[in-house]
Amino acid sequence: MTRYKKQDPEITRRKFINVAMGTTAAVGTVSLVSALGTANPIFRLTPDKAPPVKGDVLVHASESKEGQPIKVSDLSDQLVRAWPMGKDKDGNNVIRKGDPNNILALYRFPKGQLVEPTKLDATVDGEIVAYSDICTHAGCSVSDSDQGDGMKCPCHSGQYDPKRGCKVTGGPPPRPLAQLPIKLEGEQLVVADFFATMPYPFLSETEWEKFKKEVEEQLA
Amino acid sequence: MNQWLDDRLHISRLNDKFLRKAFPVHHSFFLGEITLFSLIVLIITGILLALAYEPSNSLVVNSFDPGTATKPNLVPAAYHSALKINAMPFGDMLRRLHHWMANIMVAAAVIHMMRIYFTGAFKKPREINWWIGMLLMIFAALTAVTGYILPYDNYAYNTVKVVYAITASIPWVGDWVAQAAFAGKFPGDGIIPRIYGYHIMLLPGILLALTGAHMLIMIKQKHTQPQYAKRLAYKKIVGVPLITQQTPIMLILALMFTGLVMLFAAFVPVHPVEFFGPPSTTPINNIKPDWYLLWVFGALAIIPSFEFHLFGGLIGAEFVGALVLPGIVMGVMFAVPMFDRTDENQYYAENPTNHPVRLAAGVAFMAMMIVLSVAGYKPELISAGLLTTANANTILWILTFIVPAVSYFAVIGIVRGIRALREADERDALAHAHADD
Repeated sequence: MTRYKKQDPEITRRKFINVAMGTTAAVGTVSLVSALGTANPIFRLTPDKAPPVKGDVLVHASESKEGQPIKVSDLSDQLVRAWPMGKDKDGNNVIRKGDPNNILALYRFPKGQLVEPTKLDATVDGEIVAYSDICTHAGCSVSDSDQGDGMKCPCHSGQYDPKRGCKVTGGPPPRPLAQLPIKLEGEQLVVADFFATMPYPFLSETEWEKFKKEVEEQLA
Repeated sequence: MNQWLDDRLHISRLNDKFLRKAFPVHHSFFLGEITLFSLIVLIITGILLALAYEPSNSLVVNSFDPGTATKPNLVPAAYHSALKINAMPFGDMLRRLHHWMANIMVAAAVIHMMRIYFTGAFKKPREINWWIGMLLMIFAALTAVTGYILPYDNYAYNTVKVVYAITASIPWVGDWVAQAAFAGKFPGDGIIPRIYGYHIMLLPGILLALTGAHMLIMIKQKHTQPQYAKRLAYKKIVGVPLITQQTPIMLILALMFTGLVMLFAAFVPVHPVEFFGPPSTTPINNIKPDWYLLWVFGALAIIPSFEFHLFGGLIGAEFVGALVLPGIVMGVMFAVPMFDRTDENQYYAENPTNHPVRLAAGVAFMAMMIVLSVAGYKPELISAGLLTTANANTILWILTFIVPAVSYFAVIGIVRGIRALREADERDALAHAHADD
């Protein structure tokens, strides 16, 4: 007599149940994950959410004067907040405040005070300069510092120097505020180009370049 | 009727198992109860608030200040409904009661946790309940944060902006996670409905489930016994039963406590939505989170700026300060029961001075939390002239490590002193005992 292992031609009940349970668990998990995908809505780039683009007029953002074009005489070494205002498809004015990251900070310094690394050819006469007003750290709106020179973010004490390209002078922000090229057309301040560097909330230049292309295609 | 009920529901078994549960007689054992009562009041006031709240960030005309026909004054519906709640009879007080209760619940939970830690009540067999308690703390904080976003005033707006940025700072998946969690790019059209869902359904559900588990395990494992129980009846459960002795005490405590917080709510204003105004691009100067998140805020305020790429993901100061650092702190707290190597079941609450290292480590930990919280006041410290912009970070970083170290050794020293005195007392007593012979 030889000892042999009994070969059961049929699958055992235990094995069947285990495989069935495993399969349903896998299918169930995958279906749940796909349902989770619905949590993330599609982003549609509408004119009010587009970033400042060439030709946009800069208008006041403060509640009392919202929508009024900014005049040179309104500006000083105190921060003035502005929205870019462009046109929608029908040619109506649209303030681009659908994306709060479009808020801008405008300054006017006496000649000679604006120095490198500010891009001087992107300013008006080396006097008026525009930056993104969104802190590159956690996305709060940045104010004039209450402790003397420069700008300070109220959220985590990030500090910037608007006279030197808004470079970080204190706190956790990783990058300077993005400078926005502007020019004077008649009485109005007008956007000359996209932000010179990537603004908040972009994390890499490639992403920002991709977004710029998307914007150009959409608004063309 | 008792018989009738008992035949159907087996009340007598319930009575033996749960209703006769012995509660230790010591005031420090009420801290958990206070946390529980806060949760109950929070749910009741929360339901009342939800009845009048409109979870939407769509713009509506502000009925209190409609503006003109050509230029209507538009505010988010959620903000508008918060104004309307304030205008209801006792509406403002209801909001404050909910807010104060939330703060006090976290405070009671923290002190409860300190009691557990310092008396060694986290030891075997109660590790699981320590971990559930930690989860309760974390989810309570999340619930509170989603709660103060709901009025959608400028403060809430800035808060949710920072929370969104912190979520988006997770390497690799941050953008996707933030958009999924907050209904699209900030501020999505559905951000308030989404957070409302979290605050009134998801998070309270989690809190209630965890609270249920916390208490069931506590009833199964019994409380740690206070020291007097050791002298009274060694290894026996000493205390008063839930029915009938503990219940009236609990009721009195719950009512007195609620009354006290009610007084608070009546006279101490909190989160004035009218003052902050609707969401705007004008930042609020010196905005701060609630006290129990101030240490994270402080860490973010003094962390230096850095950024590096790792396998295509971006790791920045924000991720490290707001997620990695709190993750480490929470991890250490989770690991507390694992530092204890004893294999025996813990019956009695320990005298903290008998465990100087544990005591000192706990005090040092709290000292560090306090220093980091103070660091959250960096702008105020600079404005007050105590620090300068140039030296603030350095000094605060040094204090972050020096103060805990000093408190650690100070506690060890004080405990040694107490022990020396105690031993001297014992020697004294012994000497006198001999003299009495």
